[in-house]
Amino acid sequence: MKSRFHTVFVLSLLLTCSAFGAAEPGGNGDSIQDMQCGGACHGDASINETSSAILSLSSPETIYVGIPTTLTLTATNLETSSTRLIGLFLLTDTTGHSDTPQDAGWEVLSDANGGAVNYLEQTLTPGQNETSISWVIRASTLGSTTFYAAIHHGGGDSSPFFGTTATGFEVSVEPVPENLPRLAADFTPPTLRTLDSPTELNIQTQFTDSIQFEWKSEDGLISNALVNSTGDNSWITTIPAALQPTTVQWRVILQGEGPEQTTPWFTLAAEESSWEVSENAVYLQAFALLFMIAGIVITLQIRFTSTSTPSKYDETPLILEELALTDAQPPSQELAPPPLPATGLPTDWTKAQWDAYGHDYLAGKYGGGQV
Amino acid sequence: MISSETLHVVTTELVVGAFSVAGLSFTLCLLLHLGILKQPSWTSVFDHVAHFTLAFGLVATPFAILSGLSSAPGEGLNSPILVNKMFLSMTGFGFALGCLISRWRLGGKVWSTTKSVVLHSSSGLAAVGSMLLTASAGGTFTRGESLLDIFHLPYEQVLLFPVLVSVIGLLLGATMLVLSWKRMNSSSTVH
Repeated sequence: MKSRFHTVFVLSLLLTCSAFGAAEPGGNGDSIQDMQCGGACHGDASINETSSAILSLSSPETIYVGIPTTLTLTATNLETSSTRLIGLFLLTDTTGHSDTPQDAGWEVLSDANGGAVNYLEQTLTPGQNETSISWVIRASTLGSTTFYAAIHHGGGDSSPFFGTTATGFEVSVEPVPENLPRLAADFTPPTLRTLDSPTELNIQTQFTDSIQFEWKSEDGLISNALVNSTGDNSWITTIPAALQPTTVQWRVILQGEGPEQTTPWFTLAAEESSWEVSENAVYLQAFALLFMIAGIVITLQIRFTSTSTPSKYDETPLILEELALTDAQPPSQELAPPPLPATGLPTDWTKAQWDAYGHDYLAGKYGGGQV
Repeated sequence: MISSETLHVVTTELVVGAFSVAGLSFTLCLLLHLGILKQPSWTSVFDHVAHFTLAFGLVATPFAILSGLSSAPGEGLNSPILVNKMFLSMTGFGFALGCLISRWRLGGKVWSTTKSVVLHSSSGLAAVGSMLLTASAGGTFTRGESLLDIFHLPYEQVLLFPVLVSVIGLLLGATMLVLSWKRMNSSSTVH
């Protein structure tokens, strides 16, 4: 009874502890995620507490189909755990399934962290209780879409928190006016570049006669770069090399027959050049490890097993035992000399002969049994 | 259609779960056969559980490796952590394979002497340890943190042998396997 009580107590304790470890305090990384990561980030949605954060979305008044636009999320009244990490979602539904902008026919071209995903993580500075991040998105169809924002973060007692916008933010996508200077519909801005080398940007446009290129570093200082035309509605420009893994933002101002247009700020992150290794050498070594280790284990196992546990058909121990019994009989010369007979030494015997063969003489074995 | 990321999560959970049970069972087998734990009736139970779960984890391991390679961002092995994951999983695969073949061909004799008991349990536990390290490296790769971070394991460092050394190791290992297989077969015949 006592042991059962202990078992129930330990199991209850383990079940209780699972709630404390439900969230991922180190975050999950920027990625494309449904609301609450589909339950993969904070575990069961029922264990979330309600976040006190106030979220609001904003966008330009006019959004055209096929033209990038900026959607900005402002989060205020933030309270976080000691890691000060928050995760922010841009959604088109709150079902927790197939509710990303991509699912609603929108393309995320650029995000604030230098990627192109709808879930972003941000580490707040000490004392910071509000933040603002942007996504550059592009609609592929006309009509209206309702956007939502959501937040994940930790709390003081390690509990996971979740919050969402009170109401949806509706945007209407309109047809593009004729001759409006714009980026080409199939132009996808790069989001990554490598360190230590200037970045050449090839930009394709439509209905554009000239463009101006602006970029700004993290300190907010805006610079211009020279743009060369490489053909009809095709342009090339260069952004100086990054010496550290930082982000720059860039945009173009497009001039043509229609009204002048300015694109959103696209984020371009610099990262170290990718790590390279000979894959053949890796696979070869991996299989070498597999065969070597398996071979060594089996070889040693055979050795340790066979040397000490003979087969059931092996009768060597039995034979050795019998041999040992035979050898165990003491040799006659080790016996003490027998006492002399009352008649004295046998005829022609010496004392030394008696000492050596006296026992055989008394047993009638000496001289072939004829004494 | 299941994405390779989801498939990788499923297969790794199968591998880690199975290997964890195997690790616990091998530990108990070791304690039982060394006489530290005195419950003779458990011996057979944990012997079977250890080897069955190890075999189950071994079957799931190739699926975990392949789905992991296809779900990793970018092209191929573009991170030292991925390379170390490959080495650790194949090392664990080798330990598990050696352990299972020994038990299969030598039978209960693997538990007959102290040396054999220690070796057999150690190879099973080494397989489990390698797989848990692989899972830890996976956590470090995807989330930037892992339960084993307290040990500050050098996942960013790769020990890559020259191709010639790998080739020699591969041939040596294959030769050992073939010879061991023959010896195990011959030891089971009537002398």
